[in-house]
Amino acid sequence: MAITGRVPLLVLLGLVAVVLRPGAGTVWLWLLLVLLLGLADWLLAPRPAALTFVRRPVGTVRQGHPAQAVLVVANPTGRTMRGVVRDAWQPTAGATGDRHRLRLGPGDRAALVTRLQPVRRGELRALGVTVRLPGPLGLVARQRTVDVAGSVRSLPPFDSRKHLPSRLARLRDLDGRAAVRVRGQGTEFDSLREYVRGDDVRSIDWRASARTSNVVVRTWQPERDRRVVLVLDTSRTSAGRVDDVPRLDSAMDAALLLAALAARAGDRVDFVAGDRRVRSRLRSAGVRQVSADLQDAMAELEPVIAEADWDALAGAVQGFGRQRALVVLLTPLEPSAVEEGLLPVLPVLTRHHRVVLASVRDPALDRLATTRTTLEEVYDAAAAEHAGQRRRRTADLLTRLGVDVVDAEADRLPPALADHYLSLKARGLL
Amino acid sequence: MSAATAPASAPPAAGGPTGWVRRHRAALVVAAFVLLALGVALLTRGEQGNTTPYDPANAGEDGARAVARVLAEEGVDVETARSADELAEAGAGAGTAVVVTSADELGESTVDRLRDDTRGARLVVVDPGPELLRLLDRPGSPGSVDGGDPIEAGCDDPLFGDLRIEVDQAGAMPGSGCFADTLVTTGDLTLLGAPQLLTNDQVLRADNAAVALRLLGQDERLVWYVPSYADLVGDDGVGLRSLLPGWVLPGVWVLGLAGLALVLWRGRRLGPLAIEPLPVVVRAIETTRSRGRLYRRSGDRAHAAATLRAATRARVRARMRLGTAEETTLVRDVARHVGRTEAEVGDLLGSTGRVPGSDRDLISLANALAALEEEVRRS
Repeated sequence: MAITGRVPLLVLLGLVAVVLRPGAGTVWLWLLLVLLLGLADWLLAPRPAALTFVRRPVGTVRQGHPAQAVLVVANPTGRTMRGVVRDAWQPTAGATGDRHRLRLGPGDRAALVTRLQPVRRGELRALGVTVRLPGPLGLVARQRTVDVAGSVRSLPPFDSRKHLPSRLARLRDLDGRAAVRVRGQGTEFDSLREYVRGDDVRSIDWRASARTSNVVVRTWQPERDRRVVLVLDTSRTSAGRVDDVPRLDSAMDAALLLAALAARAGDRVDFVAGDRRVRSRLRSAGVRQVSADLQDAMAELEPVIAEADWDALAGAVQGFGRQRALVVLLTPLEPSAVEEGLLPVLPVLTRHHRVVLASVRDPALDRLATTRTTLEEVYDAAAAEHAGQRRRRTADLLTRLGVDVVDAEADRLPPALADHYLSLKARGLL
Repeated sequence: MSAATAPASAPPAAGGPTGWVRRHRAALVVAAFVLLALGVALLTRGEQGNTTPYDPANAGEDGARAVARVLAEEGVDVETARSADELAEAGAGAGTAVVVTSADELGESTVDRLRDDTRGARLVVVDPGPELLRLLDRPGSPGSVDGGDPIEAGCDDPLFGDLRIEVDQAGAMPGSGCFADTLVTTGDLTLLGAPQLLTNDQVLRADNAAVALRLLGQDERLVWYVPSYADLVGDDGVGLRSLLPGWVLPGVWVLGLAGLALVLWRGRRLGPLAIEPLPVVVRAIETTRSRGRLYRRSGDRAHAAATLRAATRARVRARMRLGTAEETTLVRDVARHVGRTEAEVGDLLGSTGRVPGSDRDLISLANALAALEEEVRRS
């Protein structure tokens, strides 16, 4: 039940009655009159339970982009229904204009459109539909909240998409380049062409040159059909926020750029995410599909306050196949977590694969280390230096174990990781 | 700037009294007005005497000093009581007349005291209001009497039978009496509804003076009571409620109920609050900060200094490409590089350097290390 603004106005009208006939009795009589009118109005008000609701699926939308939630209301009764409907969504779904005026004749139906603009990644849910139908006098309304399930799937924003064109251009440069200095396992012979100045003399094909009057070089195509496995750590260390963005989101951004790049380069991309257990696993589909599939797989991942079980994650990586792969571990370079969790399983991975660790660095650590005005700040600086040294030591340790460490700030990590991938590809190290 | 240009650049209005006056014109005007107002206030203060209407000490138009003086000259012992306590001390009883002016200032408690303290005396109440009439057991409100023209006595009271009064304003008292009921005597209590016949201004009109003297000069002693609000106690006097129209209180109730309805109307939400399942919020820097606080609480300056030195050594090593050189080599090279003595750099940078003895030393060490790093980077 809810009252409308007419009730206080009606009560206020009692002032006239009181002036005409002063006394406490008049007040009570007027109150009784208002109550009786209200009760009658409530009894005569239509029942919200009679309305039926159907929600059309909203589908998926990239974070920060608009979507529309459509709710179809039908009035199967013989009465006209007037009132207000509120289609409530959780606040980060960014619903605007979620209150709708309702006027439905007998047997009518109407589609109520609420605009959404998700500001958070994940499955954002509708919280319920509230209907308020006032009685014929407009004094008292019946109100009821119905649960009409619905959700919008908000995909990671993929802000690093802007770096993709420049990296693709560099990938094309690799193609058909004569001077692949080190010919790795994956480098493939492409074609023969005439020598031009600047080509590596080591790539001259003497046998072919002997047959023609010109000097001929062999060109090489960068290796193709390699495997890239992205391992996303969703454990407690990924929950940490760097400039109010969770490390997990920055890592996802880097993973999406690398996946898009690797798919265009003709490599297969597999994805596994987890903490105590594997949360999400994705085998690569078509080249074009990778980004969309990955975003969909990442949409609902949230950091968990638990230690990562690297045994399980390494097992999942092995489960994708025994072929040599580039394994990218997207996990923060947290000395204790890495030393206790990751180090024991690293030999298993490095034996079969090339391993890269991509970590989001916190610029606040550097700021903390360089601010040294008060005593408190000096102690903080000492603590920051300590943390920095441990990070460096851990990074050195990992490098000695044959793991490449890419440690960059949140907005630099995606291009840095992509560049590292390109350099590996150029050197034929995949 | 040369000496020749200095005077020319000075603002022209800076010196000279005229410039000062012009700039502070507004303030001067305000100050003059304030002084004038103070002067007027001081001058007029002395002229203020007793201005209470019908007061025996008031020599103004609406005072009654003339009547009081004449009564005293005629041999009546006139006493003035300006509070309930003075009235009690006066001990008015039989053979005494008590006249009450400024009767508006009487309240329930002072009327009771008046009744008690003047038992046996003749009481003349000048210009009573409706509330006072009720307290004096003469309920009613003063009626109107046309003023300006002489009013005949019109009663068989031997004192006033042949007299006429003439006042600007008068009011009829409840009961019947002389001068169109403006003078009503019942037992010891006389109500005077034409107070202006006592004033210095109007006492000489018609037979006003005779009426005043006959009314007040019947006894040897006259106590002139000028009551004061200061004697009232507690909830005396006139309550706010008795002055308001009857519908105001129920009206307030209606307003309150309307306010309650307003609260109920605005307070009812259209559906429950939208809740957000919040993610975990952990600031990545949190653990480092707590470590810093831990250092501070334990006051471990030696450890903090060692950490800072080690970090600087590591960075300088990387900067100067010294790899894994010995510390003594590092110190020597750095000293040569930045042009300081080896001992100085060793004390600052080396792991065997001096442990800072105070917090101040630690802060200066931290800043000296930062400065050294900067020097290495620059040179």
